[in-house]
Amino acid sequence: MRRVAISVGKCGRPGWAALLALLALCVATTASVPAVFAQQQDEPPTESATEPPPPEIQPSPLEAPMPTPALTPVPVFSMGVAMVTAWQGGQPNLEPLVSPVGLIPIGQKWLVEGRGTFESDLIPDPTGLGWKGYLEEEADYVQVDYLANKYVTFSFGRFLTPFGIFNERLYPVWIRNLQSDPLILPISTGPSGAGTGAMLRGAFNLTPKAELNYTTYFSTKLTTTPFDSDREWGFRTGVYLPGPRVEFGASFQHLLQADRSNSFGFHFAWQPPPLPLDVRAEYARSSNGSGYWVEGAYKLSQVPMWQNEMRHVQLVARMQEYFRGEFEDEDGDLPAVNTKLFEFGMNYYFRDDIRFVSSYGRQFAAEGGNENVWTVGVTYRLVMPVGHGDVR
Amino acid sequence: MSWRGFWRSSLLVFGLLAAGRLRPAAAQQAASHGEASDSARQQLLDDGENKFHANCGRCHQPPHHLPPRLVMTVERHMRVRAILTEADVKAIVAYLTQ
Repeated sequence: MRRVAISVGKCGRPGWAALLALLALCVATTASVPAVFAQQQDEPPTESATEPPPPEIQPSPLEAPMPTPALTPVPVFSMGVAMVTAWQGGQPNLEPLVSPVGLIPIGQKWLVEGRGTFESDLIPDPTGLGWKGYLEEEADYVQVDYLANKYVTFSFGRFLTPFGIFNERLYPVWIRNLQSDPLILPISTGPSGAGTGAMLRGAFNLTPKAELNYTTYFSTKLTTTPFDSDREWGFRTGVYLPGPRVEFGASFQHLLQADRSNSFGFHFAWQPPPLPLDVRAEYARSSNGSGYWVEGAYKLSQVPMWQNEMRHVQLVARMQEYFRGEFEDEDGDLPAVNTKLFEFGMNYYFRDDIRFVSSYGRQFAAEGGNENVWTVGVTYRLVMPVGHGDVR
Repeated sequence: MSWRGFWRSSLLVFGLLAAGRLRPAAAQQAASHGEASDSARQQLLDDGENKFHANCGRCHQPPHHLPPRLVMTVERHMRVRAILTEADVKAIVAYLTQ
């Protein structure tokens, strides 16, 4: 081999210098590779390093192993509490409210959940000092949910009527931005805002940029307080675009009693990602009446001054209008005459679960119903586990 | 040193060289796998954070902290109440229990 010619010195023997050079090369190679590798790890990632791998080898984050320990769901007790004082047309009302919620998970696919409301409406006692009123007890929902698969959840029992978005999602006192109900809320939510029967619902991705959600239900008639409900069926569907955070949808309901009328409605919600802004709107129409509400809520977290305080402040405005329908509302929950109401509110979040709420509204109603509406109060949300659970 | 000694020494040197190359290669492969795992985990958490703010913020102020043992139950409740997709729930749970 011609190697000899390379490694042999003038004396014809292998040179120590060549051997040492080989050793040095070996040591240098062995030492330098990890050093270079370590340097690559220590260096801040460049743009090319942060680029995701090609799609064909990119593991889906949801298919990747969950980076969390396996948690056993535990029963949860939650409660919304509100102490609100309202002045409507100069008449003060104390409106304390407690709304406990219980969640009991069973296995991996079942959930038993219920919510009740204990509410009072106290007015000054005209015969003396103090306040008088009555306590309202309501079983908002008591339902059993079965998460059949990624497309379908089956619920049965007493459930909140899924018509529009306010009744199901925005009703709790610690969620709603203004403490008064929208004028059109009673449209198609029945006498108690709930139905008794069965419901199918679910949500799934239509495309990577759009989600479809749906609900369809059947309710039977019950007259037993506090579980009263109407006999009806209906559905609601919506499309949510996660990018612009826009949701829009429609609801339909057919009453299977009395005048067997149809109702329908539309809803819209938008939370533009760059802004701490919520925009929501609903429209509903039935034989009893129709109307709309549009609400905007803006948190002052981007105001460049007094940021420590401003980030807790939320300004709210809502415009709503109600038009009396062909038939009078038998339950008496809807306004008796055409009504227009504008409200402006300010909320201060001490934390995400406790806040001070206030609002001023001006109501314009036919037949001399013009009046001011003021509210001041505090809302609180409690959530706590019942049990220790298990971490595997 | 004889020629035989030279070749033995050379083989030893090349053996060390090969071992030296193999070790960083194995380490690099393991580290690369770890990097991919970390990247997937970070992607999942980022995805979960986005979905957390996008979905929870649709109706209420997102809670700053929930104990992990509550998260599974609350997210099951919200999957029904707010009609979240299964994928969104998984990402949000991963984010809240990180």
